[in-house]
Amino acid sequence: MCVSTKLHPRSALAVFSLIIINKAGGLIYQREFQAGLRKLSTNDYLVLAGTFHGVHAITRSITPKLPLQNTASPVASSPGTSAPTTSGFSYPNPGVPVSGLEYLETDKFRLTCFQTLTGTKFLLFTDPMTGSVETIVNKIYELYADYVMKNPFYQLEMPVRCEAFDRHLGAWLRGRT
Amino acid sequence: MAAPRHSAMLSISNASTPQSTSSDKTQVQQPQSPAGTSGLRVPSNRKTIYDRHLNRSRNAELSRASFAYLFGEMVSYAQRRVTGIQDLEKRLNEQGYPLGLRLLDLLFYRATSTSSSALSSSSTSSSPPNRPLRILTLLHLIHGPLWRLLFQRSADALEHSVSPDTPNEYMITDNEPLVNTYISVPREMSMLNCAAFVAGIIEGVCDGCGFEAKVSAHNQPTEMWPSRTVFLVRFGDSVMEREKVLERAGVK
Amino acid sequence: MNSRRVILTVRSNLVSRNDRTRIDKVNAELVTLTYGTIVAQLCQDYDSDYQEVNKQLDKMGYNIGMRLIEDFLAKSGVGRCANFRETADMVAKVGFKIFLNVAPTVTNWTSDNNQFSLIFEDNPLADFVELPDDGRAQDELWFSNILCGVLRGALEMVQMQIEAHFVSDVLRGDDTTEMRVSLVRYIEDEMPPEEE
Repeated sequence: MCVSTKLHPRSALAVFSLIIINKAGGLIYQREFQAGLRKLSTNDYLVLAGTFHGVHAITRSITPKLPLQNTASPVASSPGTSAPTTSGFSYPNPGVPVSGLEYLETDKFRLTCFQTLTGTKFLLFTDPMTGSVETIVNKIYELYADYVMKNPFYQLEMPVRCEAFDRHLGAWLRGRT
Repeated sequence: MAAPRHSAMLSISNASTPQSTSSDKTQVQQPQSPAGTSGLRVPSNRKTIYDRHLNRSRNAELSRASFAYLFGEMVSYAQRRVTGIQDLEKRLNEQGYPLGLRLLDLLFYRATSTSSSALSSSSTSSSPPNRPLRILTLLHLIHGPLWRLLFQRSADALEHSVSPDTPNEYMITDNEPLVNTYISVPREMSMLNCAAFVAGIIEGVCDGCGFEAKVSAHNQPTEMWPSRTVFLVRFGDSVMEREKVLERAGVK
Repeated sequence: MNSRRVILTVRSNLVSRNDRTRIDKVNAELVTLTYGTIVAQLCQDYDSDYQEVNKQLDKMGYNIGMRLIEDFLAKSGVGRCANFRETADMVAKVGFKIFLNVAPTVTNWTSDNNQFSLIFEDNPLADFVELPDDGRAQDELWFSNILCGVLRGALEMVQMQIEAHFVSDVLRGDDTTEMRVSLVRYIEDEMPPEEE
């Protein structure tokens, strides 16, 4: 299926909305980028954030382990790369950190979750055909590092109310279309 | 106003300013003898401020992020110790003030050691530049060389108040103050402008030149420049009187 | 930034301004002088109680580190380090390079690979600096102590509890500027408590 070239340009780039979840699973940012989206109540967004956070952690903890071939002495482990190596089991490819849920897809939209190494989650709702979601998420992370984390009036882990972040985020996403 | 504040600053640097340019040595009340005869220990490789060239960092650049974090901490630290926006701006202004005094010397030093034309439009270009005597010369020094030293570009506009009641008021505009790049002021503090720090620097330069002034930073956003800031420079009566005398005497 | 399409009829230098904002640099002297102002202000606020100034600088650095780590991760795009030795190299060669444009030498490892030193050849924070000649500052003040806090804050956010302190400083008359860094523990990747 050759989709990328034939696709309608607008839908190919469509970013519907963004949610940011703090380390504790609290919703700290929510914004829509398209008109006509169904709005959820604030409470529903909080539930969505909390639920996703919980499911994410569970999907991470149920990552299957494989039996170890040679039970040599466990390598010095850093967090995330490998859990306490109980008995003779280990994650496949121990060099790759265990992640939680990364995509959730319906026929009409796709949810991409990007968790930073510090534990913050960016949830991006896009058209299922949107390409280079990774690039978009990385740029959003950069804008967050700039206009949220460098703002002395922003308190860590609290809801994001930074006018410059809104402005630059909106301008950048608009600039893509 | 200028004189007492200036001396207050000096007593600070006297007590505890670790960050001192060589020019400070002439200002400090109990003059320090140069390294070697002072009580300070120096490394055997003699990497001291006396042994390294003052222009060494002239064109050096550093991460903008690092500045943003330091400035951010300056703002948060100040915020913890004051109540209210006015106090916060006053405190930021006071933090910028000593920088202005120091930068002034650096500006003159750099101007003499390179070309003198960069400094002032009115002084003759053959002789080393003197400190400005007239208000406009001073303001051009701030708008151009000072801004370029700090922000690597000139300020965006320089204006004089049109009101006959306030002939002592001048405005320097920066469309995008570097210090505010990453800062979003909370709605409940919308009057606050953290560029009060830069206002303090300007005030230090003015005072250091013998132009008593009060400088404040004001938000004047436009659609195109949301963080556009106007620095209002208000010169004291003594400065305005002297200006008239100099005008009559034909001093430039 | 490039998306802000506006008609520029007023001044031509506005165009180049927009370009320049993309370069993430500032005049090094602005950073140096701003840091000097912060230290001088602390010395004033705490009546030259240098122990307290060291503590405050460390605290400020910690606050910065917790924020700076996001910029580091977002812009460097690096992943998690496999061990503490790798972390040390990352801090020295990538972290300090990005934020202070210096690359301190990593050396003096302990045999358990949990402690190392950073030796600074250059330290932009201390350019133009001479400590007060009051008979105490050179024995008590660690002028660049903010860096210890930055390291502590940044690494804590990526699940490493460390301890960092300066052991020598050219500003004190030492021949080198050296920071000692020790790994205390890896913070377990537990799930934070749910909000009520």
